[in-house]
Amino acid sequence: MTRHLTDEQLLDVLEDEAAIAGREHASGCAACAMRVAGLRDTLQRARRAEVPEPSPLYWQAFRRGVGRRIADEPRPVRPLGWLVPLLATAALVAVVVARPPRASVPLRPEPPPATSEAVVPAWSALPPAEQDGSLPVLEAFVVADGEAAAWEEGRGLGAFEAGLSDEESQALADGLRQSKGGAL
Amino acid sequence: MSGEGLALALGLASAVARPDDAAQAREAERDLVGACQRGEREAFDRLVERYQREIYRLCYRYVNNHEDANDLAQDAFLKAWRAIGRFRGDSSFSTWLYRIAVNACLNHRALKRPLLQELPEVLPDPAPRADADVLSADESRRVRQAVGQLPERQRATLILKVYHELTHEEVAQILGSTVGTVKSNLFHALGNLRRLLAGGEEKRP
Repeated sequence: MTRHLTDEQLLDVLEDEAAIAGREHASGCAACAMRVAGLRDTLQRARRAEVPEPSPLYWQAFRRGVGRRIADEPRPVRPLGWLVPLLATAALVAVVVARPPRASVPLRPEPPPATSEAVVPAWSALPPAEQDGSLPVLEAFVVADGEAAAWEEGRGLGAFEAGLSDEESQALADGLRQSKGGAL
Repeated sequence: MSGEGLALALGLASAVARPDDAAQAREAERDLVGACQRGEREAFDRLVERYQREIYRLCYRYVNNHEDANDLAQDAFLKAWRAIGRFRGDSSFSTWLYRIAVNACLNHRALKRPLLQELPEVLPDPAPRADADVLSADESRRVRQAVGQLPERQRATLILKVYHELTHEEVAQILGSTVGTVKSNLFHALGNLRRLLAGGEEKRP
């Protein structure tokens, strides 16, 4: 480094925060070294200039004085941040309570409509009818046989099957095989 | 504030020897500030006790007499109490408090400006002198008076940096400036102070 140090670089040397190049220059350049020495001398003299120390009793009196002046003051403004979630919750509750029930979202489930088509609620765990491979088999069997009443009376497949003749059982087995092959 | 928090604040207020202690002291101070924000006077008394000496000395270096320094330091704490509800902890409490005190001093000085003789930003360079003896009370007063003649920003920078040993970053926060400006002001403050002291000595018999 050949140029003299800038003011900031001189201060960095004084405070032992200078880069290596700055320190090397200050140690080799008489002009910069003199400027740093002048700053250091002034800094040391300034540091030695003490403020007169009041008596120890003064500090108690000082605190009392501050306390008296504060006592005459209104209480400090407190942060109201804790009110925000409380007010937000209260507002949400008020909106929910004041809102009229919507027709499309009844509070109580309505009875299913009296139609012949099965209505599968959106929340049903069953697969949709068009994806259920077992439905065509049962429908074909029940419709073909004309015995839907047996299901409606709750006798189920076992009871229904027990009442079939040999030919009817054979026809059922054939129908099931065909339906299975179609589904696959 | 909980009893435990207050005990921490009392016990560790001056314990800054180790990093762990410093962290605990900062935590305790945050507890104290939180208690003050809830309106607890006792917690504020602890903060006054902790910082009263520093704030008084800061004010004294501005006004160079005990009566005004006492009034200004009390004003600074009163303003801190009024505003503590708005303290968000973006800076440390001490930095925030120093800023309040410096502003109080600057306002005080502005009111008394016609009575004070403030220097221009740069003085002509005197002949160098090399002695650095221990200062007597008389010499200390002379240095303080010379500091009092520095331009405002230079004086504030020198007081905070030299007598309160704050970092450049902390001084910049307090004065609302940049680190570069702080360094520049400190450099010029030391240069002007040197010239002022040399000039005073030339005038002495």
